Amino acid sequence: MTDRSRSHILTVESLNIYYGKFQAVKDVSFSVLKGEIFGLLGPNGAGKTSTLSAIEGLLKPQSGTINVDGYDANEKPLYARASLGVQLQSTSFQPELFVIEVLQLYAGIYGLKLGKDQILAILKDINLEDQAYKKFGELSGGQQQRISLVIATIHNPKLVLLDEPTTGLDPQSRRQLWERIEAIRERGHAVLLTTHSMEEAEAVCDRIAIIDHGRVIAVDTPQAMIDKHRDDPDVIAASRRGRITLEDVFIGLTGKEVRV
Amino acid sequence: METIIPTTSAALTSLLRADFTTQWRNRRSVVLTLVVPVIILISWKPLVARLGGPFVLANSITIGLFAAGLMGYTVAVARDRDKGIFQRLRVAPVPSWAIMASRLLVQVVMIILITTAVFVIGKDYDGITLTVTGYIFTYLTAIIGGSISLSLGQMIVGFIKNPETVNATTRLVYLAFILVGMFGELKQLGEIGDEAVHWSPYGTVKTILLSSMEPSGWDSHATGALFLTLLYIVVFTTLGIKWFKWNSK
Repeated sequence: MTDRSRSHILTVESLNIYYGKFQAVKDVSFSVLKGEIFGLLGPNGAGKTSTLSAIEGLLKPQSGTINVDGYDANEKPLYARASLGVQLQSTSFQPELFVIEVLQLYAGIYGLKLGKDQILAILKDINLEDQAYKKFGELSGGQQQRISLVIATIHNPKLVLLDEPTTGLDPQSRRQLWERIEAIRERGHAVLLTTHSMEEAEAVCDRIAIIDHGRVIAVDTPQAMIDKHRDDPDVIAASRRGRITLEDVFIGLTGKEVRV
Repeated sequence: METIIPTTSAALTSLLRADFTTQWRNRRSVVLTLVVPVIILISWKPLVARLGGPFVLANSITIGLFAAGLMGYTVAVARDRDKGIFQRLRVAPVPSWAIMASRLLVQVVMIILITTAVFVIGKDYDGITLTVTGYIFTYLTAIIGGSISLSLGQMIVGFIKNPETVNATTRLVYLAFILVGMFGELKQLGEIGDEAVHWSPYGTVKTILLSSMEPSGWDSHATGALFLTLLYIVVFTTLGIKWFKWNSK
């Protein structure tokens, strides 16, 4: 392991991803420090999920390197994936399986030998012990998110990737999820999340990167990003209430045009 | 802290447990795959004396194998791919081949179950019995014959992404196999048509099953059917793997 990889849990360098002739990710570079919550922000189709998919090993980039906890994701994919906990944007588990069986499956494929009592204790910790023998599809959206997050962290990963984790959640469930994300950081792990919510980015992220048209256009802490761009004419024009917010900066940097 | 990679056997064990549980919870669809083979066993009882017991058993097993491979395995893979179940598994430190190997091992057990069910009903209802060697050889050729339907299903699910289209296609192909099999047996398709049916995937599987039920009668014709069956498996599997995408989006 290099000195650099000791302080960085994830390093993405010069990442390029194409779908046919369309380049979705253009020379993207950023890194996530150990113990930080890093947010990847961008409009629809900006390249967030493509970048995340490459880190997760779901798609192979045309060029660039991804290093997870000192392991090159291309050369040692299983080691890189073992260091990651992942919650996909639209996670689904086998609909025939009970919640307890889904947890048993994922514990097993991460090499953990968890007994029934241990799994019930995990479910009790997220107040879902009484849902153990329900099928995943029978749970509410908030309950499904809690199960997905607990599965993503069941093996105590060094880096947790969350793709739009609070989409579709009510405010109570969202706040609860933020607390769980912060709890992951408190345990010394890092979190990389994508989100459309500027409120979420400001509330939980230590640093953020704004990605647009496949390129990273800014990386900083939310407050530093506001301070840096508060005098930009486009940001001022985007401001609605006189006070510059992260959303104003985001709109100022990425434009008002609606993306599909 | 050193990163620990789970052993493939541990991951495979967990996958198998989940896949067998899924199969068990879908036992109604398993029963449905046996419907046509059982109908053949019942309706062809009067033909046993004329065509021979092995002939009836071979047709019955062939239909059952194609039902399990096309409508069981293929439809399940298309559905799970569309729901993102494979993608969730693939972000774990488990080789992609292990995910499919688990599914296929479940199907091998299904092949053995279907074959056993046909043997049991064939014996109890039609009074058809084979020698011990005949039973053993038939189990082996049933696995080979089942592989052709699985590889054909893999090719379909590789070529078509939409799960509803996969579902419709597998049913059409299954129906075509039943019709081809039936008309082929009636010798109503002319010389070229009968030859085509005989060397079709249905025909070769039926031939190797029939010949293995009476191993002493295994001849060069059966060997040719076996080689052609293996060739079909290689071609379908190669195309199925080449075309297959883990994500339907």
